[in-house]
Amino acid sequence: MANLTEIQQTIAKNDCLNDSNTSFNNTKNNNKSDKDFVEREAREQREGGGEQDMAPIGGNPIHRSSSRPQLDVSGAAIQGNFEERDPTILLPNQSDDISHLALDIGGSLIKLVYFSRHEDRPVNDRIKKTIKERLGISNGNRRSYPVLGGRLHFVKFETNKINQCLDFISSKQLHCGGMDAHLWHSGVSNENAVIKATGGGAYKYADLFKERLGVSIEKEDEMNCLVAGANFLLKAIRHEAFTHMEGHKAFVQIDQNDLFPYLLVNVGSGVSIIKVDGDGKFQRVSGTNVGGGTYWGLGKLLTKCNSFDELLELSQRGDNRTIDMLVGDIYGGMDYSKIGLSASTIASSFGKAISDNKDLEDYRSEDISLSLLRMISYNIGQISYLNALRFGLKRIFFGGFFIRGHAYTMDTISFAVQFWSKGTSQAMFLRHEGFLGALGAFMSYEKHGLDDLMVHQLVERFPMGAPYIGGNVHGPPLGDLNEKISWMEKFILKGTEITAPVPMAPPGTTGLGGFEVPSSRGGILRPDASKLNVGVLHLVPTLEVFPLLADPKMYEPNTIDLSDPGELEYWFTVLSGHLPDLVDKAVASEGGTDDAKRRGDAFARAFSAHLARLMEEPAAYGKLGLANLLELREECLREFHFFDAYRSIKQRENEASLAVLPDLLMEIDSMDEETRLLKLVEGVLAANIFDWGSRACVDLYHKGTIIEIYRMSRNKMQRPWRVDNFDAFKERMLGFGDKKPYQHKRALLFVDNSGADIILGMLPLARELLRRGTEVVLVANSLPALNDVTAMELPDIVAEAAKHCDILRRAAEAGGLLVDAMINIQDGSIDSSSSVPLMVVENGCGSPCIDLRQVSSELAAAAKEADLVILEGMGRSLHTNFNAKFRCDALKLAMVKNQRLAEKLIKGSIYDCVCRFEPAS
Amino acid sequence: MDRNGVTEGEFEERGMNKCAEQVSHLALDIGGSLIKMVYFCGENSGSEHQQGILSSKESCGLSNGNTNCSVLGGKLHFRKFETSKINECLEFMSSKQFHRNGEDCHGASVSEKNIIKATGGGAFKFADLFKEKLGMTLDKVDEMNSLVAGANFLLKAASHEAYTYMDGQKEYVQIDQNDLYPYLLVNIGSGVSMIKVDGDGKFERVSGTSVGGGTFWGLGKLLTKCKSFDELLELSYSGNNRVIDMLVGDIYGGMDYSKIGLSSTAIASSFGKAVSEDKDLEEYKPEDVARSLLRMISNNIGQIAYLNALRFGLKRIFFGGFFIRGHAYTMDTISVAVNFWSNGEAKAMFLRHEGFLGALGAFMSYRKDGFADLMAHHLVEQVPTKPSRNAGGGLNNSKILKDGNENISIECTMQLSN
Repeated sequence: MANLTEIQQTIAKNDCLNDSNTSFNNTKNNNKSDKDFVEREAREQREGGGEQDMAPIGGNPIHRSSSRPQLDVSGAAIQGNFEERDPTILLPNQSDDISHLALDIGGSLIKLVYFSRHEDRPVNDRIKKTIKERLGISNGNRRSYPVLGGRLHFVKFETNKINQCLDFISSKQLHCGGMDAHLWHSGVSNENAVIKATGGGAYKYADLFKERLGVSIEKEDEMNCLVAGANFLLKAIRHEAFTHMEGHKAFVQIDQNDLFPYLLVNVGSGVSIIKVDGDGKFQRVSGTNVGGGTYWGLGKLLTKCNSFDELLELSQRGDNRTIDMLVGDIYGGMDYSKIGLSASTIASSFGKAISDNKDLEDYRSEDISLSLLRMISYNIGQISYLNALRFGLKRIFFGGFFIRGHAYTMDTISFAVQFWSKGTSQAMFLRHEGFLGALGAFMSYEKHGLDDLMVHQLVERFPMGAPYIGGNVHGPPLGDLNEKISWMEKFILKGTEITAPVPMAPPGTTGLGGFEVPSSRGGILRPDASKLNVGVLHLVPTLEVFPLLADPKMYEPNTIDLSDPGELEYWFTVLSGHLPDLVDKAVASEGGTDDAKRRGDAFARAFSAHLARLMEEPAAYGKLGLANLLELREECLREFHFFDAYRSIKQRENEASLAVLPDLLMEIDSMDEETRLLKLVEGVLAANIFDWGSRACVDLYHKGTIIEIYRMSRNKMQRPWRVDNFDAFKERMLGFGDKKPYQHKRALLFVDNSGADIILGMLPLARELLRRGTEVVLVANSLPALNDVTAMELPDIVAEAAKHCDILRRAAEAGGLLVDAMINIQDGSIDSSSSVPLMVVENGCGSPCIDLRQVSSELAAAAKEADLVILEGMGRSLHTNFNAKFRCDALKLAMVKNQRLAEKLIKGSIYDCVCRFEPAS
Repeated sequence: MDRNGVTEGEFEERGMNKCAEQVSHLALDIGGSLIKMVYFCGENSGSEHQQGILSSKESCGLSNGNTNCSVLGGKLHFRKFETSKINECLEFMSSKQFHRNGEDCHGASVSEKNIIKATGGGAFKFADLFKEKLGMTLDKVDEMNSLVAGANFLLKAASHEAYTYMDGQKEYVQIDQNDLYPYLLVNIGSGVSMIKVDGDGKFERVSGTSVGGGTFWGLGKLLTKCKSFDELLELSYSGNNRVIDMLVGDIYGGMDYSKIGLSSTAIASSFGKAVSEDKDLEEYKPEDVARSLLRMISNNIGQIAYLNALRFGLKRIFFGGFFIRGHAYTMDTISVAVNFWSNGEAKAMFLRHEGFLGALGAFMSYRKDGFADLMAHHLVEQVPTKPSRNAGGGLNNSKILKDGNENISIECTMQLSN
């Protein structure tokens, strides 16, 4: 630690610098406290969550009310050599948003990418610290990562409404972010703030930016930006690229190490075809002047459409056969099969206009638009393919405004590539296609740290507005929660007027016929229905890939493929059906106030809209799995400030379960080792019945007390279970014949629900492992999800349980869980080092499922010495990870509380149990 | 009538006046937009300038030693009709009495007299019409076969068939018959076919595009209300595409995007300027629209053709088909595109009889049925008499060379097997 006085002095110096720039900073902070809501909310969300949790929280790092910037110097440290003249100062708890902004100002749209920094949740509570030390995690308070935690936001404005864009930037003070960063890092004030921008408008609007925001636009080369943007997306986002054939999207996972070379086709007004060989290594090898401008320009002349989107929308209902000359028209309806042309192939675009004695007015605008779209898309596909062929490139990515996620455009381009390559080459599209340039401009800042980002450090989230507006912004940014709610309400009132899917009632059980997959030809869709949404990219440098995965590249968390429309419809129904109950719980958790009710309504609407959007276009938010869907629900709850909807239920169940724990432990201790192991596993399975995520279980709750249900459930436990590897597990643990018992060094227990599940199920199992000399790490959620127990809650539960059990107490002490709570309760005679430790780590997520590609660094560290993984509960062992393979022994335990899942996964029925043991592979 | 006199004019002037000619073999290429016709007119014995029937010894002895053949001197004539006005074609055939002439033809003992060779999609589509109106059966010849046969014949037989066209300069290219193959044949009809030709009858359609002559004409018709293809071409001649195309300079504030080798005058986006301007179609001059359209399509064809030539390592690209029509600006644009994309390594070449490849090829297919060969050795090309028809002139020449080549007749001899 550096000398604090020194640091304070340096900071005072910085403050002086701020003084010299007072007007600017004053404005900034006032504006911030008034308007900078999005980031604040994000923080509030986390802080709020923290405050309501039991664990203590370190000093509040945020000082907003002040008119001058204040720094939180807690934990400040000088980085590097102390002798250095102007050492860089790290201010880990300084939470003023330091943001970067970059723009791509095109002819029709302005694309904006900005970064808002936010701190990780404070991690200086003592329990956590002890555990971190125990796990050998170096100072968790200091960032040892090159990347700042934060969020990348993607926003679009229409160029002709550039003032909205300027207002937006101004209200969020985005243009000042870069300056702040300079200030903090180098202590040098820079009055000439600069924003990186690309696109033709970067010149055109430079003066406007100077005048309105006082910033200079620094123009970045367009191609450079495009390529940098594409490279970043393809490397950092797991499911960025997708194919699009006959209305069906399929995401393609691209191996980062096998990305180059590829062909990037940017279809703007004209088309640029770029061969990309690496970061910053590319060449524009071709292009064509027949591009988006041609479509729009010709289309405008031919149809009198007023906008590109209108023209696209028209094409959706068009029939190009009325105007294109098909092979069949020439060959009297026959194919020209000798050269592989079918009768429906277009022989000559607009060729039929020749022989028809019709004027322009006699043709439907819809048909003209479609014919034009096909002509241009097909042509682009063909020329791109020929260039890919020329350089032997396997992959062709198409981007640019012409694509706009428009299904027919993508289909036509894909068809052309498929046709000419005879299926050997595939056209791919990018989810963030509109933002390549802006992202690239963003990358051109020197210190963005994004180059070092790995796929697993990014989490994309879709805020409540996503189903309605995608990345487009109309009007000023939303303010506080209240504004969000009224915005929601307004949207619902306006209904179909706005380009949003109308949240539908659940389709019910009308059978399989009722569900329509969005198809590129359907006339029923919104024109941009197939357009994909762009969420907010959360950069979480602390996320890591779970080190015990046998094959991280092949790992797929989701067990159920939601690209199957039947599955999607089913889960849509389940989630919709569960919604009223969830809203009740959520509102009750906030005291049932009017405000809570209003928020509850808004949440229900927002989540219904998400569901409707996903029903309309399952790929809208990227590759959709059940885990994503369940997490979306939790995130949506948090967005409306329901941080723990099941808090009181969890508490009640915990209390009830803790009351019977001593009896249970006594009963267990009276058994021999073999019987005990079986009883313990039975107990885990039986206790897993308490699950507020399951409709059937919720019904049970209404019929009996927790203990009654638990007894009933235990009594039903009869082997063999539907999936029953218990004997193999027992042999591994206790030995059999020649096989010696295996004593695991460390077990990771991924726990599920609060109440009986954790207290009467998993804790006794953990205790058994501890008794056998195995270190136990309880892995729990970082944020609440349904009634799942969180890592914040666990230490208290353990402490409570330890009151009745020496084994747990000693282990908990050894694991640092009882540093405060237990100090006076037991006599100090027992040496805590005599026990193996019981620890708690957070898993890094706030969902009932877990994607093991993105777990907390603590969990990753804890996993390094673990040789047993126990996954418990449907979310973590069935919905996800059922097929996951580990490098160590793995036990998956769950009761299936869903008939359909039971049938599908284990050919069983509801309340069947899974005990799947997979020895180290 | 706004027919531009293309067909009827010729019909009057050339067809009827020389009624002494005996039309013997006739072949058709019935495309989506145009019907192309090739027929052979044998000179009657005693004809003033030409020999009638050559003795078989005289001509055939050298070539193939077939002693049972007779050689017919005469001319190959080329005609075209709009497909939508197919009746004009039928009338022409009827007036030429071609359909009854077969039997009168010297030694042209076509066993099935009322059969004519035809290619193109319309050979299928209009088969019934020909049967009904003229009592003739169309014998369908494969379109690609015909194209290639026609091109191979012309490239080997006619000395000044292929030429390059750059900056208004037309330059004939002497092609070594022994080094003709492989080449890329780009036939621009309503649509575009790109054919890799490796020899006589050896070829493959390697690519194509639906953006072709039909697109130019079809879109042009909708955009300008022109009544004919030629009118549209003529319009394009006096137009200025910069009014409506978005140039690189328009985007980069008048500057080149030199980093990627684009000059400020390169077209960045065809019709792209129409996007930002608040103008209706009526506010653009039809000339400018036509010019922009022509450049868009020519440029595109040139590019795709070059990419295909590159793909197969072909040095020569021949462009044919009715879209070209010896139209200077079209040829210029295609040449520029090929030149640009190949960095000057490849050159676009054009064929004087470009519109008639298919019809000629169909005509060639008679050899299997009746005559042994068109005597390439003896083929004498009649130099067009009217100077105005001489394809030439630069971009500034406002005269459309619409009849530049298509009605040139070729004098030749036909060897007839007995």
